[in-house]
Amino acid sequence: MAINFRKKKSSAAAENNETGAQGMETLGLSQGQIIRKKFFQHKPAVIGLIFMIFFAIFVYSASGIHLGSGDARFTIKGWWKYSHEDILPPGSCNTGCPTADHPFGQQANGRDYFAQVMRGSEISLMVMVVIGLLGGLLGTVMGSVSGFFGGIVDAVMMRFTDFVITVPSILIGAVIGYKFGNLGVFPLAVFLGIFSWTGLTRLVRGEFLSLREREFVDAARVAGASNRRIIFKHILPNSVGVIIVSTTLLLSGSILLETGLSFLGFGVQAPDVSLGALISINQGAFLYAPWLFWWPGVIIVVIALSINFIGDGLRDAFDPRQRRQIKRKDYLLKTSTRDAVNKR
Amino acid sequence: MFAYISRRISTALLILFGSTFLTYNLAALSGDPLAAWRESTDPKKESIIAELIYTYQLDVPAPARYFIWVKNILGVFVGKADFGFSVEGRIPVINLIADAIPVTLRLVTTATILAIVLGITFGVISAIRQYSRLDYSLTFLSFFLFSLPIFWVAVMLKEYMGIQFNAFLEKPQIDIWVNLGTSAVLAFIITGFVGGTRRKVQIIWAATFVVLAVLLALASATNWFRFPGLGIFGVAVLAALTSIGLTNVLAGLGNKKALWAGLVSVGVGVAFYYPFGVLVNESGNYAILIGFALLMLSMSFFIGYFFSTIDRGPIIRSAMLSGFFVSMFTVGDKFMQAWAPYYTLSDGKPIQTDGTHNLAMVTNDFWVINLDLLTHLILPTTALTLISFAGYLRYSRSSILEVLSMDYIRTARAKGMPEREVILRHALRNSMIPLTTLVAYDIAGIIGGAIITERVFGWRGMGSLANDAITQQDLNLLMGTFSISAFLAVMATLAADLIYSALDPRIRIRK
Repeated sequence: MAINFRKKKSSAAAENNETGAQGMETLGLSQGQIIRKKFFQHKPAVIGLIFMIFFAIFVYSASGIHLGSGDARFTIKGWWKYSHEDILPPGSCNTGCPTADHPFGQQANGRDYFAQVMRGSEISLMVMVVIGLLGGLLGTVMGSVSGFFGGIVDAVMMRFTDFVITVPSILIGAVIGYKFGNLGVFPLAVFLGIFSWTGLTRLVRGEFLSLREREFVDAARVAGASNRRIIFKHILPNSVGVIIVSTTLLLSGSILLETGLSFLGFGVQAPDVSLGALISINQGAFLYAPWLFWWPGVIIVVIALSINFIGDGLRDAFDPRQRRQIKRKDYLLKTSTRDAVNKR
Repeated sequence: MFAYISRRISTALLILFGSTFLTYNLAALSGDPLAAWRESTDPKKESIIAELIYTYQLDVPAPARYFIWVKNILGVFVGKADFGFSVEGRIPVINLIADAIPVTLRLVTTATILAIVLGITFGVISAIRQYSRLDYSLTFLSFFLFSLPIFWVAVMLKEYMGIQFNAFLEKPQIDIWVNLGTSAVLAFIITGFVGGTRRKVQIIWAATFVVLAVLLALASATNWFRFPGLGIFGVAVLAALTSIGLTNVLAGLGNKKALWAGLVSVGVGVAFYYPFGVLVNESGNYAILIGFALLMLSMSFFIGYFFSTIDRGPIIRSAMLSGFFVSMFTVGDKFMQAWAPYYTLSDGKPIQTDGTHNLAMVTNDFWVINLDLLTHLILPTTALTLISFAGYLRYSRSSILEVLSMDYIRTARAKGMPEREVILRHALRNSMIPLTTLVAYDIAGIIGGAIITERVFGWRGMGSLANDAITQQDLNLLMGTFSISAFLAVMATLAADLIYSALDPRIRIRK
């Protein structure tokens, strides 16, 4: 593998870069408007966002909405004719191949696989959002307190973070499955969320540590602002980028966590289904009924991928150093206009 | 410094105490260890339950039982740590763990090292070719790998790299169109790493395509996939090409001394081809392999030393790496020659999808036994490498980009330093400092094992021990595996902080 270390077109690129954020600032746009514009310029992120919105609507309308469990159950029926619990006669072809009636085929026990996958996606999405939001909230609070106050508070909270990191999530899944298995997946999501804030805490703490040394914080303090005001009015708005981006990444991490736990049997418990549990059940069917294995996996990958791209787009949008990416045609356009000017 | 470390270690012990306490109680909450016996119809079930309660002190509430467990563990200071017995088989937990650790290490070490080396390499290339097509593809690839659930990848690898490859080996002839298609795609990927004008890229693509197509056709015609081997000629050519490539990266082809030092190392290595072959045919063992690699490394060090007068670093480095790769190719060739006997012994299924080694295989041949271990290792290692590769790639890419925008890089460029030197000497070294944290955490996770991977591929390592312990409500076993991985995690945090402050003088440890 020969690497050719030649000079980058950095000078031209840097020149061209200036049209990015700074150009927008001179247009008189607010910070929020710049971020929004930059986010919508990031094509993969926009595709990911649109996909996630449509996918969530599709899943929830297909399988209906299920809240609570047991007697206190509240459900709205979706548009798909079968439920994930319906036991149907086995398919006409012996391995339950996809038909017009069962677009994703049927499981060996006769259940309609489309209903199963939709229900699994619904649960996985719900768990993902709960873990992500709870972890994001806890991480922000812990990180900002730890980073802002520093000293002994910081030391204690960081050691507490080390402590939480050592608790294995597989064990939490096992405990919740045994103790609250009859209450549905919500307790699982909440408890996993309670233990998944550690990474975000470290990032937010780092951001707070560096921001609190900045001049504008000193200025606010000299002006007599309280700690609360400094945190909420001065530092938090400046670290919102880090918080949002890492929460997004936490979301994509948590769908992999939940499906992984469910694959091992410590996550979502029967009769509920999860995408990970579906893969675990059907991994033996890979040879004769591969669609049973492919659908849940593809859905997990696509969800995680879209969220990762949304996170990447947000990172670009919030990072003032990150300017618009240069395309070859921009470069050519720039040089050709410059040549034209030079000739004149 | 000493005060700081001792304070951190005492906090670490406190954390360990807290987290083992929490885990013990959580584990006790996660199920009823006697459930299976309570429902059984065994006439002796009352006495069995009573015996279990007595042995594992189940009548003591979990928080109090934890202290009995700790008391037994603390026997480590008087020379006998007692981790207790497992429920199934009543085996001492310490023995189970001692058996499991080498298995897990074998599985995870290779994958971690591969992921670090590949991730950093591709991250650096991606960063110095920022916004190129290659950079976009690598970015997309890393996002894709980030989003892959490992259990899904593992099952697919079993099918496509295991079962289908074995099926291919039954009749290892490549169709002409498949050959052309594969060569075109591979050539396209390889060309992606080469920069330059469009014309140069096209020429390189065409050349690579022709070479690959001819090689694949030759391999197919000579049944190479069944009877592989490089021969002394193949080793020499491959090693020489590798050496030239390494010199190009490390010192530049303009540096004739580095080029010659590398090639002479290759020559010396090739001269050892036959002596090494004779030696290992008579008695193959790991000592000879390691000795050979060390011998090659030290000889090429001296070759590099004698070829250089000033600026010895790059020259010695390219010579040593060339020497290392020659020994790797020679050993690889020996493995390839063992492939045919291994193939017959493995019953036509060379790539194994389950377990750590083939129990049914009876042979004394050193190479065949190790080939068996390797073919069992290849699928889980690939799965783990794919997953952790993405993290290293993203991290090193952003780290390099950050460093490249620093003032001292501009200074280095302004004083006329070649771009290679700027990147290898100034950018790369500084950008690797933050990576130590990531590596430390990853290494801490090694012993904890890869629960999912071990389960899918049927390995009996630390991960599957923990998994079984939770399913069987085996508190002693669970706490044994868990306390070791928690200990490592806590120590890795400390090590990461210390290494970081040692490497980066701007970070001072608070006294």
